[in-house]
Amino acid sequence: MTFKDDRSQPRRKPYTLVRPYVPLAVLLALLSSVGAIQHTFVSPYNLSVLADESSVILLLATAQTVVILLGGIDLSMAALTALASVLIALTLPSMKVGSVISVLALTTLLGAFQGYIHARAQLPSVVVTLAGLGIWSSLALTIAHTTIPVSAGFSAIGWLKGSSFGVPHSFAFAAAALAVLAGSLRWLPLGRYVYAIGLNPRAALLSGIRVGRVKTLAFALTGLFSGLAGMAMVARTGSGNPTIADSLLLPSIAAVLIGGTKMSGGVGGLGCTVIGALSITILRVGIAATGLDPAYEPIAYGVLIVTAALATDRSWDPLQK
Amino acid sequence: MNAPVLRTEGLSKSFAGIRVLDDVSIEVRAREVVGLIGENGAGKSTLLKVLAGLCRPDCGRIVLRGTTISLRCVSEAAAAGIGMVCQEQSLLSNLSVAENVLLGHEDAALRLGVFYNWGALHALAKAQLDKLGSSIMPSAQTDTLSFGERQMVELAKVMAIENRTPHEPVILLDEVTSMLDTEQTETVLTQIECLRNRASVVFVSHRLDEVLRVCDRVYVMNNGRCVAQRNRGCYKIADLQQLMLGRNLSVEYRNDAPQVLITGSTVRLSVRALSRANSYQAVSFELRAGEVLGIAGVSRSGRESLCRTLFGAEEPDSGEIVLDGKSVSFAEPADAVRLGIGYVPVERLVEGVVAGLSVRENMTLAHLDGLCRGPLIDRGRERELVMRWVERLRIKLRAPETPAYQLSGGNQQKLVLAKWLIARKPKILILDHPLLGLDVCTRMEITLLIRDLARSGISILLIADTLNELIALSDSIIVMKDGAVSGCFPASTERPSEREILERMV
Repeated sequence: MTFKDDRSQPRRKPYTLVRPYVPLAVLLALLSSVGAIQHTFVSPYNLSVLADESSVILLLATAQTVVILLGGIDLSMAALTALASVLIALTLPSMKVGSVISVLALTTLLGAFQGYIHARAQLPSVVVTLAGLGIWSSLALTIAHTTIPVSAGFSAIGWLKGSSFGVPHSFAFAAAALAVLAGSLRWLPLGRYVYAIGLNPRAALLSGIRVGRVKTLAFALTGLFSGLAGMAMVARTGSGNPTIADSLLLPSIAAVLIGGTKMSGGVGGLGCTVIGALSITILRVGIAATGLDPAYEPIAYGVLIVTAALATDRSWDPLQK
Repeated sequence: MNAPVLRTEGLSKSFAGIRVLDDVSIEVRAREVVGLIGENGAGKSTLLKVLAGLCRPDCGRIVLRGTTISLRCVSEAAAAGIGMVCQEQSLLSNLSVAENVLLGHEDAALRLGVFYNWGALHALAKAQLDKLGSSIMPSAQTDTLSFGERQMVELAKVMAIENRTPHEPVILLDEVTSMLDTEQTETVLTQIECLRNRASVVFVSHRLDEVLRVCDRVYVMNNGRCVAQRNRGCYKIADLQQLMLGRNLSVEYRNDAPQVLITGSTVRLSVRALSRANSYQAVSFELRAGEVLGIAGVSRSGRESLCRTLFGAEEPDSGEIVLDGKSVSFAEPADAVRLGIGYVPVERLVEGVVAGLSVRENMTLAHLDGLCRGPLIDRGRERELVMRWVERLRIKLRAPETPAYQLSGGNQQKLVLAKWLIARKPKILILDHPLLGLDVCTRMEITLLIRDLARSGISILLIADTLNELIALSDSIIVMKDGAVSGCFPASTERPSEREILERMV
């Protein structure tokens, strides 16, 4: 068996070896700098709070990763989360577990619908989901003009609150969901298709991949995870909030990009997203803990996103301009 | 003594390691029409693009009126007095005719250097259109014009260059008549003959009768080299065809084994009156098991579109595709793949291979569901199959995890072929220019592979680069011209000659 390199490799510059580790380095830098300023930050209790805080963003970022890997984006996730939280808060008292199941089914369906329009009508995902963002947000606001406290039936989702062995349940849940998705990406043919479509949609189509079906499925997934995030929010706050979309949209997308997944698709994955989600959470909580002006938060997101984008290497791609 | 206005010395250009122009030296004299002919891929378009400033040569010189020039972009070429009309039009359909004609050099029609002076703009455009004898209004919207009228506007646009230089312009025309009907072609040819009075013209066309009519001299290109030059009155069509086809590689492609007559085997694919607007009309043919059917034709003849339709990448407007006796229709390529059809596209890096995935992932992309144990990918079996095919096709690589972009062109092509052969034998393979840009060694390997595959019962539809290859690889040949089947050479021990096919192509 001959394994011979028939094309001499161009000599790699040293920093290209370092590139994949930049997001991880950023995470550790954030952790240590916040810890240096506020010594109590790195205690087990604080880390536990941190993990709990990150669970909603983690859920959103997990599904968003799949869509971004495909080369698209879903701007409507946070709005679906708001809608889900409102609907769950309203129906929990009467339907209990059935409420959660039906709301999850609804958000999955709405997500799939967006994906179908995107695939079938060839509309860019940014356009379809932007429309979705508007529609689901106003739907949530129409249903509930203000925060709706859960009056009864909280036990159906109460298990998400609290922690065991120092690990918050919400974080464990989010981590488990991420692990299942990560496994699927690695071991199911669907995962391979996602990467192929993100890297080269034309070649993927001409290799017999049902691109439309994969896209619809990916957006159904974001719908589902939006619903799960809504459920997690109701569990944490005990109420449904129609306006949480505003504060969740940017951080969840930033989490994916800061982790190192490339916006154009095909590069990155869920491992990157874990790093990104943790970085975002440390940033948020850290800014508050160290007494810095919260207005600095978006600036920090911007800097981190650009850093991560510069660090991912795609110079070999003939399709890249 | 007619001194050359434009001269090239030893122009060479390579794209991704493939020599597209090889030491080309031609000259264009004042007020003459020079023809440039050659087969597909001979380098004609590339030569024009270099002259027009669209791409830069790797070496060689361009000498314009005695001075060596270096063109960095199209506007520099235009400022020097060289303009080009492409086969695919370059007009902006949402603008008016006048805006298009003076696109990029409206300076003479601007007030204060910023605002359009519509009157002046229209007057300048009208002047150009009048010289061409066209009655198109400069204020007309370009998207309301017919194709032939747009071609007129293109000519006016390129002639507007004469306003930018004190000298007479050099006009490059790349296959401007290939998309026109007889009447429109007639108009354009008459215009070209008139252009001779105020410009030098380089005219590229695959229709030899047109070239013979308008050109004073003709250059013949073959495989990137300029192989001959003939003056008017000193050439015949037969002679030119011979020069175009050349003699170089015919020895390699001689078919050692006599073509097995396949009249006995079953009809695998039957295409009946397939039509698609602006691509092909009423195409009908049959493909038998184990047969290699070559499709000859120039670039716009409809053959590429036909192949893509048979793979499900394009939708036909009418007609029927019958596969193994059953009528089929494809909503997307995945449907064709499920039915056992594979496609090797001409642009392998853009459409054949996902450059960022590894060789292993690429090779199994088309038939991944066949490599699963339950819902999960069986990685062990995948690895084993990939190794087997890497060895069988002699794909040279360091490890199966090598990213596909690190493979050479030839190995990438083998990878694309392996993609369709792994896991399940295809019924039909559609190969679009399978030997394009490959070195001699790999060409032989893939040629032998194609013959082996046919012998094993796979039906093959083939579009080849040159007629040599086509004749050597194919059992039967159909020729397409302007969207219709213009000739058919069924499988027989007597191979058609290149001339016979070329006659029906052009």
